Amino acid sequence: MTDAAMPLAGPAPAKSLHQPDARTRKRNAAERRFRLYGMAAVSAGLVALVVLLTSILSQGLPAFQQTYIEAEIYLDPAILDPNGTRDPEEISKVLTFSYKPMIEDSLTSVAERLQGQGASELTPAMLAGMISGAANAQLRDYVLANPEEIGQTVEFEFLTNARIDQYMKGKVTRESAALDSKVDVAQLNAADALVEGGAMETRFNWDFITAPDASENRPEAAGLGVALLGSLYMMLIVLFLALPIGVAASIYLEEFAKKNVWTDIIEVNISNLAAVPSIVFGILGLAIFINWMHLPNSAPIVGGLVLTLMTLPTIIIATRASLKAVPPSIRDAALGVGASKMQAVFHHVLPLAAPGILTGTIIGLAQALGETAPLLLIGMVAFVRDYPDAPPGGLFEPATGLPVQVYNFTQRADPAFVERASGAIIVLLVFLVVMNLIAIILRRRFERRW
Amino acid sequence: MYDTNEAKTAVQNDVKFHCSDVQVYYGESHAIKDVSIELLDNTVTAFIGPSGCGKSTFLRCLNRMNDTIDICRVEGKIDLDGEDIYDSRVDPVQLRARVGMVFQKPNPFPKSIYDNVAYGPRIHGLTKNKAELDEVVESSLRKAAIWNEVKDRLHAPGTGLSGGQQQRLCIARAIATAPEVLLMDEPCSALDPIATAQVEELIDELRESYSVVIVTHSMQQAARVSQKTAFFHLGVMVEYDETTKIFTNPSDQRTQDYITGRFG
Repeated sequence: MTDAAMPLAGPAPAKSLHQPDARTRKRNAAERRFRLYGMAAVSAGLVALVVLLTSILSQGLPAFQQTYIEAEIYLDPAILDPNGTRDPEEISKVLTFSYKPMIEDSLTSVAERLQGQGASELTPAMLAGMISGAANAQLRDYVLANPEEIGQTVEFEFLTNARIDQYMKGKVTRESAALDSKVDVAQLNAADALVEGGAMETRFNWDFITAPDASENRPEAAGLGVALLGSLYMMLIVLFLALPIGVAASIYLEEFAKKNVWTDIIEVNISNLAAVPSIVFGILGLAIFINWMHLPNSAPIVGGLVLTLMTLPTIIIATRASLKAVPPSIRDAALGVGASKMQAVFHHVLPLAAPGILTGTIIGLAQALGETAPLLLIGMVAFVRDYPDAPPGGLFEPATGLPVQVYNFTQRADPAFVERASGAIIVLLVFLVVMNLIAIILRRRFERRW
Repeated sequence: MYDTNEAKTAVQNDVKFHCSDVQVYYGESHAIKDVSIELLDNTVTAFIGPSGCGKSTFLRCLNRMNDTIDICRVEGKIDLDGEDIYDSRVDPVQLRARVGMVFQKPNPFPKSIYDNVAYGPRIHGLTKNKAELDEVVESSLRKAAIWNEVKDRLHAPGTGLSGGQQQRLCIARAIATAPEVLLMDEPCSALDPIATAQVEELIDELRESYSVVIVTHSMQQAARVSQKTAFFHLGVMVEYDETTKIFTNPSDQRTQDYITGRFG
């Protein structure tokens, strides 16, 4: 207790409370400095975010717009359906190349109309050089989808090629066109005339989201459809495998397993797995799923399995943490009224841990969604133009994933792919934001605020 | 508070728990040494003693709550109505339905008041239909002396009640499974004096239907509510006798020292 010999601190010499002493001033200054550091750190983060978003949005948003030339086209039955059966089988036998004369006729009439309006320099050949190389295929797809239109004259929107499109978006200038073998200044003038004549416009482009990838020379036709489907399939596989396996493993380890050397080893290894570089999982997937189990290359099933392996440690760690956070008194209460261990866990502990488990799962999924390296190794970087079927069959068909598609776009020479890559990043980010929103909504739903 | 007459009737009650030479080890440490005790039916038995003396540990042996602690080992014999509860054929789940427990800190489930009380009967299949379950819930809440306070908000969350109400809700939850013995581990330590008085009154009423074992740090409380008292010290049960005798004329010097506040 108090030592009587020790002099008690007597009343301090009177100092005004209105006058902070040196020590207090120092402490307050330190606190102010710390707050400033904090605000500086937050601002730096915000600035970085704003810069990143502006750069991606300014580069990527134009990818959602595309330039089209509108023209009337006569779908000549003599070419498309010489036997007059209107049988889709028959029509599909007509070569894509055979559509070319019809398009040329249609463009000639556009050129003549505009020449009549004063655009004297516009020639049909020039117009033909302005539409996309994909136009033939585009028209063929349209005819196959609407065979009843054969024999009629329809309004059709031809994709312009990438240079004209980029000119409309202000990225190709007359100076750069003068140095470019794929476009000349006269075509740019013609494009202006087309816009003035109402035959060309730039509008929202759903095809960027739904269409499959296109070849190196046709950036204007390239889309994310196959990549989106592939990513979606992989996420479904990850969700349906990683969530039950991860949660079951965590519950067993946390609630049932005896603490001994084995569980310690398992615990250490789970933590280590979470830190393993993702490309290692790719090699593992290549060796086991493709070389040994002979699952197909480039298939979402393999990607999904690899990403599941990668996501499991994240989900297990998050689930175990949220199980640990449930107060032990709840377990005691359940056991005390005679619930079995399993009833205590499933009736009381798991519902309380659910928000944490969900958050961990969604974080794991988001991580998996953005993962590129393992997918490169299992062949999902391939050029895939055919949509995979609906699951389960489609899981075994080639597809790509969103991040791999971004990587793919950035590898291509044509500058028009730059905006495509940024556009794909925007789609990826939107996906992530949507997933996080779902996580927040589910958390709110599950969280009992009592 | 209790005349000697009442104390005498208690002696004639049946033996509920018969414990002989109980030893409990936590890993290497020997927490309970050679405890032999007979706990009676329709009696409140209080365990008193300084912190860490093993009274809670011993209490948790009686419904095998110690099983949940990996390193805990129990030796000796504990019989409930003549049956060894540590026999390999005993499922602790069935035992705990007969030996209910109320904990130190009120720990209602984060569910409605109704669901809290109905949980035990539900998992043990004690009721056949909703009406019967309603009845069990009501009678348990009545016995726990909380019915009047919560009857209008049975579907409000149990965690929204005050501390004293929560503890009585936990008592209602424990008696809803119709146990024969009720173990209480310092049930009033988190409560204010008014709530404590309510719970103590309740414990006295519960004695009519149950054998109640209560661990308490408050000697006044032990004197007020119990008929028998056991004094624990350093893992040993020093003395077990009528409460009146323990508090007026203990036979062991250590008991004497403890109740007069000379140590502990």
